[in-house]
Amino acid sequence: MKKRVLSMMVMSLILVPFLFSAVSAKTLKIGSMSPLTGPYASDGTDIKNGVWTAIKVFEEAGGIPGYDKIEFFPQDTACDPRQAVAAANKLINLGVVGVVGAYCSSSTIPSSEVLDEESIPMITPASTHQDVTDRGLEYMFRMCGRDDDQAPAAAKFIKEALGAKTMFIVDDKTTYSQGLADGVREASKKLGIKILGHEHVNQGDKDFSAILTMAKQKNADVFYMSLQGYSPAAMMTLQAKRLGMDSQIVTQDAVFQPKYMEVAKAASEGVYLTYGFTDPNTPQYKAFEERYVPKYGKIAAYATYAYDSATALLKAIKAAGSTEPAKIKAELMKLDYQGVAKHIKFGPKGDSGSSYIAFKVVGDKFVPYWEPATGLIK
Amino acid sequence: MEYFIQQLINGITLGGMYALIALGYTMVYGVIQLINFAHGEFFAAGGYVGAIALGYFSGIGYMETHPVICLTASFAMAMAYCAYLAVGVEKIAYKPLRKESRLAALLSALGMSIFLSNGLMLTQGVYDKIYPSELFQGRFDFGMVTISYLQIMIVSLTACLLVGLNLLVFKTKIGMAMRATAQDKTMSALVAIGSNRIISLTFAIGAGLACAAGIMYGLYYGSVRYDMGFVPGIKAFAAAVLGGIGNITGAMLGGLIIGMVEIFGAGYISGEYKDVFAFIILIGVLYFKPNGIMGENIDDTRV
Repeated sequence: MKKRVLSMMVMSLILVPFLFSAVSAKTLKIGSMSPLTGPYASDGTDIKNGVWTAIKVFEEAGGIPGYDKIEFFPQDTACDPRQAVAAANKLINLGVVGVVGAYCSSSTIPSSEVLDEESIPMITPASTHQDVTDRGLEYMFRMCGRDDDQAPAAAKFIKEALGAKTMFIVDDKTTYSQGLADGVREASKKLGIKILGHEHVNQGDKDFSAILTMAKQKNADVFYMSLQGYSPAAMMTLQAKRLGMDSQIVTQDAVFQPKYMEVAKAASEGVYLTYGFTDPNTPQYKAFEERYVPKYGKIAAYATYAYDSATALLKAIKAAGSTEPAKIKAELMKLDYQGVAKHIKFGPKGDSGSSYIAFKVVGDKFVPYWEPATGLIK
Repeated sequence: MEYFIQQLINGITLGGMYALIALGYTMVYGVIQLINFAHGEFFAAGGYVGAIALGYFSGIGYMETHPVICLTASFAMAMAYCAYLAVGVEKIAYKPLRKESRLAALLSALGMSIFLSNGLMLTQGVYDKIYPSELFQGRFDFGMVTISYLQIMIVSLTACLLVGLNLLVFKTKIGMAMRATAQDKTMSALVAIGSNRIISLTFAIGAGLACAAGIMYGLYYGSVRYDMGFVPGIKAFAAAVLGGIGNITGAMLGGLIIGMVEIFGAGYISGEYKDVFAFIILIGVLYFKPNGIMGENIDDTRV
């Protein structure tokens, strides 16, 4: 009898670790990749803050059953393809179940291949180059729009709203900026706009006076500026205005960042840019605004998209009730709800649709100005 | 023709800034035969101190009423700060290694460069620091040629600094002492020239000039960032080598040439290869004149 009691006690001792693990903390690991240093640090930090806000909100709303904590690992890509791949590998080693990122298309493309090999879902909030989702990767999703939608929208805007006949294009040779500049050039040619020049500058350049003098001499109706971030764009705008260039400046989504006006100040007045449409009157947006603005300041660029990406990922994990990639993917594809930035529904390639409209810089704000379907916005 | 003149003006503005930075490389090399790779960081530090000072003045509203005083005060404060920084760097990182091999000092310089640039990043953040640029917003238009007030200000200030440096080096006792130290440290010590003091002074002057370039850069481009010292530093180093390292006239000339080549290369051939043209010229010149245009000379123009 004594022996049996003893053996039962020993048996129960063996079970202790199992019992313990069943009650103890289980954490879900989510990663993000964006440039936290270098020229695009502001945009990268917005993405990090967006994801962080999403995790907080999700945890407050009950979190994910079976996990009592969601751990967040923001990684710095510095918009450098090599560092992005290293960051992806680090996230794999940390055992994350999903990644939000990256910012630069040139970082997203190589790092997504590394993550895809490990079947880790990746949702990019900001990389608009078409190849991001056109490579047939199983676990690549995109929250923002595509450049092959943005380019025709921009060309249509330049033709119809601005009535331009000639255009001068500058890009800084990144996957994103050059891809978009080429797209705008082709789309504009089709609409009968004459391209007076297409010049390139280098990433990290500060002095654009030579190129701008060339553009000024050509005196095109529109100066299309395709640069990888607000910082070079602000410098170029400032120098263009100082040089007395009269062409109307049109630029794109990477410049959608209030810091652009802070640097370029008065020179930025009246600049147009294309960016995805977000309705600021939805309850989702207002709730996000209340949460985000007191902590991080103005809502800029891709914070909303990052929030939506992280929320979509968490929702899918919750619905799947597991961290198995195939199940998460199946649930992601089923999502159909109104997010902060847009309505979220992924298509077969992993895209969630584009909604590009033109904004105009008025004072220190981006004001919606034109939409492809109905023209000028009152 | 107008196009050419406009590009020439652009080139002189850029080249002047390179020349100011290049002087620091060349003067330090002249005195202790060290390539001070941390020199670009003095330029960045100057840009930051300038931004902080000008931001402060503009914040209290003093900028609009007394722009010249504010600008002078900011330049003076920033240049003094950078001069002290450079003297400190020299004492900490180079002086203990003066008797060691040149390689040791060179590595110490590289380390210092990384240290200072990261220090700037940690203390000032990774974002662009914005210059209050209400100053000098106007411009002159001569047909197609445009000269902004800012360009006039930058070019004239650069010219003043270069002339001032020339006077200092060639017309004063201190300049003579600097040249003497550059030629022969032992000999000059025998005639009661304190080489340590002269070396510190050389660092201080070089950093002060780089600092002035940093503020002008900030005013001209509207913002500064912690890593701004790297690329202009490398180009200014190339300019110093092009002109003949150790030779101050050469450094001024080299800076202007690098700036011009960059602008004309971008303006007439292609913007994407503008950095390449500058370095092609460097290689081309060094192939025929390995000591640079003015030569690394041993006569009295060396500092």
